[in-house]
Amino acid sequence: MKQETISSLVARRAFLRKIGRAATCAGAIATAGALGVTQKVAAKSEPASSRGSFPTPDYDWTKRRWGFGVDATKCIGCLRCVEACKRENNVPADAHHFNTWVERYVYLEGEAKARVDSQADPQNVAASGSEKEYRFDNRYQDSKVEKAFFVPKLCNQCEHPPCVQVCPTGATYKTKDGVVLIDSKYCIGCQYCVQACPYGARYFNVRTRVTQKCYWCYHRITKGLQPACVEACPVGARIFGDRNDPQSPISLFIRNNRVQVLRPETGNAPNVFYVGIDKEVG
Amino acid sequence: MPKHIVRLIALMVAGLALGLIAKWFFTVESFYEYGHYRANSVPEIAAQEPAYKTARYCQSCHSERHAQWSANNHKTVNCETCHGAAKGHPQKAKLTIPADTRKLCTLCHEAMPGRPRTQPQIALTQHSGGQQCVVCHNPHAPKLAGVVAKMAGDAAAGSKKHAASCASCHGAAGISPNDTWPNLAGQNAAYLVRILGAYKSGDQTDVMMSPIAKTLSDADVQNLAAYYAGLSCKAAPSEGRAGDAGAGKALAKNCAACHGETGIASNPAWPKLAGQRAGYLVNALKAFRAGLRKDPMMAGVTRGLSDADIANLAAYYAAQSCEPVTQARKTQ
Repeated sequence: MKQETISSLVARRAFLRKIGRAATCAGAIATAGALGVTQKVAAKSEPASSRGSFPTPDYDWTKRRWGFGVDATKCIGCLRCVEACKRENNVPADAHHFNTWVERYVYLEGEAKARVDSQADPQNVAASGSEKEYRFDNRYQDSKVEKAFFVPKLCNQCEHPPCVQVCPTGATYKTKDGVVLIDSKYCIGCQYCVQACPYGARYFNVRTRVTQKCYWCYHRITKGLQPACVEACPVGARIFGDRNDPQSPISLFIRNNRVQVLRPETGNAPNVFYVGIDKEVG
Repeated sequence: MPKHIVRLIALMVAGLALGLIAKWFFTVESFYEYGHYRANSVPEIAAQEPAYKTARYCQSCHSERHAQWSANNHKTVNCETCHGAAKGHPQKAKLTIPADTRKLCTLCHEAMPGRPRTQPQIALTQHSGGQQCVVCHNPHAPKLAGVVAKMAGDAAAGSKKHAASCASCHGAAGISPNDTWPNLAGQNAAYLVRILGAYKSGDQTDVMMSPIAKTLSDADVQNLAAYYAGLSCKAAPSEGRAGDAGAGKALAKNCAACHGETGIASNPAWPKLAGQRAGYLVNALKAFRAGLRKDPMMAGVTRGLSDADIANLAAYYAAQSCEPVTQARKTQ
């Protein structure tokens, strides 16, 4: 019994010695490795100038500061923006997933709270006749409406985005020109970001297993185009542009109107500016 | 230093080294280049191909349509808002608008609480009489030529001018003696002002009318219009033509939204057709179809008409009573 104990002790000692040697070797390798890592990191963080303009040869993201405006007084609730967005960005063609959407706020006479619905409402889906088409039904045409308006919504591309903060893999991040993007190859589908967003702007795409949201059509704006929803809006309720340019539509919109953002109390500092919305809109 | 401490430190260093190596190994290219993310994902996202190509893309082939659209009320509504994304067009798909324009147009134009007052809105049940929107409205130039001209004419002065300049062709009482010239008696004054103005300005030309209209002053035009509008349109029914009025009645349903069921126009800026000379109607429709008379609406609706259709329509309208329907009901 004792013999066995001693022999196991000897064995343990021998094992530890081996580990020690291995550690020394590993240490040596590590030193070399660390050297390699530093070099690699140094190589990885080489200045952007060596890349030329980033992210594309014709577009330098350090020169732009994108901003978005919504003039709710102009919105007619036609939902052309929603359809355009779905088509442009491969959003699932159903009544549950939207990068951008439109809400209708209706105050009826004698009611203190607004009635809110969006294109995803079953009655509105029934009015359009298909989950792939969108329209608001006319359910209030015979009601006594005190006040009613439409509010387009989309990702606010916050200055301090909570979704980026919670992402465990660095799959979502804020670009230098002010757009929050999602790296679909790095997204593991944990959906923390979906819960972190106070605006409900994110959703999980069950088919691709990654989170999706509005990204101001980054593939368009880097080519000098407007986001698809802005392009499709027939009444100019959506305004987009570069805030570094004092004459851009968004700069003029912010300068010439009293704008507000949604849920300023969250401290996220949204970059979508609204005109003509009411206290209940959040 | 005790041996076991040295070993411990060595182990920790080894662990750290292993961790760093693992991190180096598993960290992909371009991560940390700009921050805690893969920088290469930015160009990847930026490289996606846009589906919406903008109106400029459409213009490169459809320049004529583009010119009409960009000069009219729908210029804020981009091509792809109604036609859909141009990606894949023209190679793969045609970009026709949905056949049911009543559904398409009401997306924006259905009267609905919450829409701004500046937005033109209609109650579908009261507006079109069940017709498709494109029957009357050209989507590229949706506003009808329905702006009612200001009327300030003096019928007595118009009567003198009529006797001097017009009566020889259009008849002493505005009832034309010839089947190819239009009756003017009882015609809508606003329409007459518009059409005389078009002859005067050269927007519309006619061998006979153009030189005469060019001599008229604006006041003359107003006076003549007031004079003709006040005349009785009762005329001897024009002699039988080749057209089939029954077949024309079916076709006339497409014209009813603007010209009324029996050819009494709902808007004074559009002409009354009821009781008009059949030969004149045939010529006018053929001129619209050929593009000799220019009107975006009429050009669209006459495009699909055959010569027989035109004869039938003319026969139908020529046979109608030119008295307004409401008045006819009262007298019954």
